[in-house]
Amino acid sequence: MPDESWQRVREIFDSALLVKPEERRKFIRNACADDYALFDEVDTLLASHESSESFMETPAIAEMAYAIEGTGKKLENGSRLGHYEIIEPIGTGGMGEVYLARDQMLDRQVAVKILNERFSDDESNLSRFIREAQTASALNHPNILVIHEIGACEDAQFIVSEFIEGKTLRQILKEEKLNFPEVLDVSIQIANALSAAHDAHLIHRDIKPENIMIRPDGLVKVLDFGLAKLIEQKNRSSLGLDNSTALNNISAEGMILGTVNYMSPEQAKGDFVDERTDIFSLGVVIYEMIAGHAPFDGESTWETVANLINDEPKSLSTFAINLPEELPRIVSKMLRKNMDERYQTAKGLLIDLKNANQDLEFNDKLLIVAVMPFVNESSNADVEYLSDGMTETLIRSLSQLPNLYVKAHSSVIRYKGETADAQTIGKELDVQAILNGRVVQHGEQLTLTLELVDARSENVIWSEQYDREQTDLISLQSEIALDVSQKLRTKLSGADEAKVTKNYTANREAYKFYMRGRFYWNKRTAENIRKAIEQFKEAVDKDPNYALAYVGLADCYAISQEYLGTPTSEALPQAKAYANRALEIDDSLGEAHTTLGLINRSLWNWAEAEKEFKRAIELNRNYPTAHHWYCRFLRAMGRPDEALAEIKRANELDPLSGVILGNLVQVYLQLGEVDAAFEQCRKAIELYPNYPGLHNSLSYVYLKQGRTAEALAEAQKAVELSNRANGHLSLLGYVCAVSGNRNKALAIVKELEERYQKRQADGIDIAGIHTGLGNKDQAFEWIEKQFQNHSSELMAVKTEPVFEPLRSDPRYKDLLRRMNLPE
Amino acid sequence: MTEKAHPVSQITEQLQNWGKKHDTEAGNVLLQLVYDELHRQAHGYLRKERVGHTLQTTALVHEAYLKLADQKSVAWEGRSHFYALAATMMRRILIDYAKSKHRVRRGGVNSDLPLEDALTVAVSDADFDLLELDEALTRLAEKDGHLAKVVELRFFSGLDVVDTAEVLGVSESTVKRDWAMAKAWLHRELTQ
Repeated sequence: MPDESWQRVREIFDSALLVKPEERRKFIRNACADDYALFDEVDTLLASHESSESFMETPAIAEMAYAIEGTGKKLENGSRLGHYEIIEPIGTGGMGEVYLARDQMLDRQVAVKILNERFSDDESNLSRFIREAQTASALNHPNILVIHEIGACEDAQFIVSEFIEGKTLRQILKEEKLNFPEVLDVSIQIANALSAAHDAHLIHRDIKPENIMIRPDGLVKVLDFGLAKLIEQKNRSSLGLDNSTALNNISAEGMILGTVNYMSPEQAKGDFVDERTDIFSLGVVIYEMIAGHAPFDGESTWETVANLINDEPKSLSTFAINLPEELPRIVSKMLRKNMDERYQTAKGLLIDLKNANQDLEFNDKLLIVAVMPFVNESSNADVEYLSDGMTETLIRSLSQLPNLYVKAHSSVIRYKGETADAQTIGKELDVQAILNGRVVQHGEQLTLTLELVDARSENVIWSEQYDREQTDLISLQSEIALDVSQKLRTKLSGADEAKVTKNYTANREAYKFYMRGRFYWNKRTAENIRKAIEQFKEAVDKDPNYALAYVGLADCYAISQEYLGTPTSEALPQAKAYANRALEIDDSLGEAHTTLGLINRSLWNWAEAEKEFKRAIELNRNYPTAHHWYCRFLRAMGRPDEALAEIKRANELDPLSGVILGNLVQVYLQLGEVDAAFEQCRKAIELYPNYPGLHNSLSYVYLKQGRTAEALAEAQKAVELSNRANGHLSLLGYVCAVSGNRNKALAIVKELEERYQKRQADGIDIAGIHTGLGNKDQAFEWIEKQFQNHSSELMAVKTEPVFEPLRSDPRYKDLLRRMNLPE
Repeated sequence: MTEKAHPVSQITEQLQNWGKKHDTEAGNVLLQLVYDELHRQAHGYLRKERVGHTLQTTALVHEAYLKLADQKSVAWEGRSHFYALAATMMRRILIDYAKSKHRVRRGGVNSDLPLEDALTVAVSDADFDLLELDEALTRLAEKDGHLAKVVELRFFSGLDVVDTAEVLGVSESTVKRDWAMAKAWLHRELTQ
């Protein structure tokens, strides 16, 4: 970077530091205007700034001396220390090296900690420490490390304790974030240990993640009771400080450095401490487990101490959205600066923690999140399909996660191009969090900025920027999905992680075509479905093993009878072949099983269809289409109650999908709940005044209510809005027929017959009008024709209200029998 | 490396020359003198002769200074140059030390100082290799020599903000800004 731009980076960086941390990003975005290289430079520096607080704060020589000193007393493997045989070093603690050893007298494995001489050469302190350690050990508490012996050999003091195979909480926190049940479990076990120790008048004085061990089975052990006191005393005497405060210790030596984050204010000030100091320190530990950092972090030790004494930490609720409600209150009470305002006993704390844990168990909360359509900030319209596609991919990936409901694409897409605030969207979609994204393209470079916003508080919980070459798109998808889900604190098991990051193709071109295909498919008009087919075909051309693209093709063909009028005999075998191809590649693809369910339903393979739908839902219970199509199947089966449950589920997942809302109305009608149907339909139309399917449904509702004129108007509207699509035209014909306008009804029959000749309409639409006209024979003729054609839509005879007059006819019963449908 | 003590007057004279006239010759002599003295002391620290007592680098540099020069007779400018110089020296000493441990390990000598322990110091929550930090600092110096100087003074010489500002003749807030920038830049280099 040339000098001038370095100066510019410095200026913006310096200024940004004067702005509140949460506003820095916005600030630099403005300051850098269109210079993305500059933005990136400053942005990464700011990120680094935030994680470099303690970086280089201790002078190099002190750090080196510590590093070297820590290795001063090395014991060889196999060497002896009394009757302990050293097996191997297992770590370096604050006080010295720790070894795994074998106690040859009792033939058991133990941990041996060699105390650095600087901690162990003061007799009175040492004996006090020994006394405390033994008292703690004598408590024989499962959460307190048992000390077997404190001994001396040659010039080394050592502590022998039970050997715990596990990791310290510090190590664990470095590797992963704990989920809430885990946080509570660990907290409860520590509080248990403290409660027992405090009953015996033992104070730990140095509760911190380094002093907490967790076994693989989850059992927590608190280490080093009494040791803190020993160090403190030692520091004071070695410095000749009699009335020293911890602050003095730090400034003079930096020896307690690292511990200061977990100190209580009274401890830091060198005041009198009692049991309540441990409660404070545990509060800090719990806070860190949730927030990812300690509450009083400062840029330096001094600042940390100043924060500790003066500042209130940010409430925990700002760091996690689905936090157990009680937890922020509990931790805030633990962190009261005035010890009289804290929990007075560990027991009191324990009760509250256990209650919170019970709440958690009763209320295994689901987090509901909406991924908003990414905003395309570049002028390039080509990026449009890309940003839509990325939204959808992210929804798909996140839907795979347990305890996470992700609102479906069609629910959020209506917000595209709109600026709605988080609270409004949160209410409308009933979600707790909203993920906003912005895509900017510069040549081959794509910059994606994501922001996770708490829908209630509008706090930005997390934000991240991804800069990639367009060639990296695929890995970017996985990266984002994983990143976001981790941020949502969803505990990912190994298997879930694989699900989230599964890409289905490594071919960039194929991926692009697929994205374009879905873009068209979602529009659900004849022309767009044809375009979608082209795109999906290109995708599998580029990557013949691209399972999702085959599903896309299968989806197009499976619904092509409905939208294009393509005969079943042509469309379905193709759809089936594509779905099966997808499953050959990946049998666990819920989407493919869903399509196969629809195909089997269309082919009247009812048992097979149900099996596929159930499998699909088992594999991906967050896929709204699976519930939606399964509902339609259940309606044909004459199981409207189950159908209602499924369509409600689909609606929950995708509350703004017009097609699902329309189906919900149909199910209510089938159940005879006309009022519910009407109410639902009215609300839906408010949302989508121009969605033809909803006017179609409303027309049905009016017919049921006997409001013929209004039914006619709605049917007319559906026809106009859909540009005379078959299904809506058929309803209009039907309404005309039942309202006495036979001529118009017959004209529509003629129009549909012409389309039928061109294989662009389904005979069932014609049969419906004949039913309305009272021409039962002609209706059954068309039905029979469609039976011979094996029409996928034939089940409408059973589910749609227009065919009611036919159902007392023996030919209807015969049809059901031949279709193998239950009555 | 010689551990022979240098006459105070000689050092004072070199320091004055170097400080006032930026005499290269004097600078070189001084460099050697400072290096020797600091090295002798630092080595003591690192051999943990003094562990358990104060570990402050600043004290070490102060001590070296007192040994090397008679404060009263040195102009303030000279003193401030001395600290700047000492900071560079401390950096060199510590890096040399780290490298020597590296060699011991490489040569297969049965050393009781494994590579990680000798070279990796807890510069922050995460551990960084001191040699990597040194390399990054050299890169930073190419970009912005002033920032690198601040790092030498603060980190390698252990000076606080006030002393650093005094040595560099700038305001404390400038030092704070420089320090924040340098830390962020170096930290990014080491974590990227």
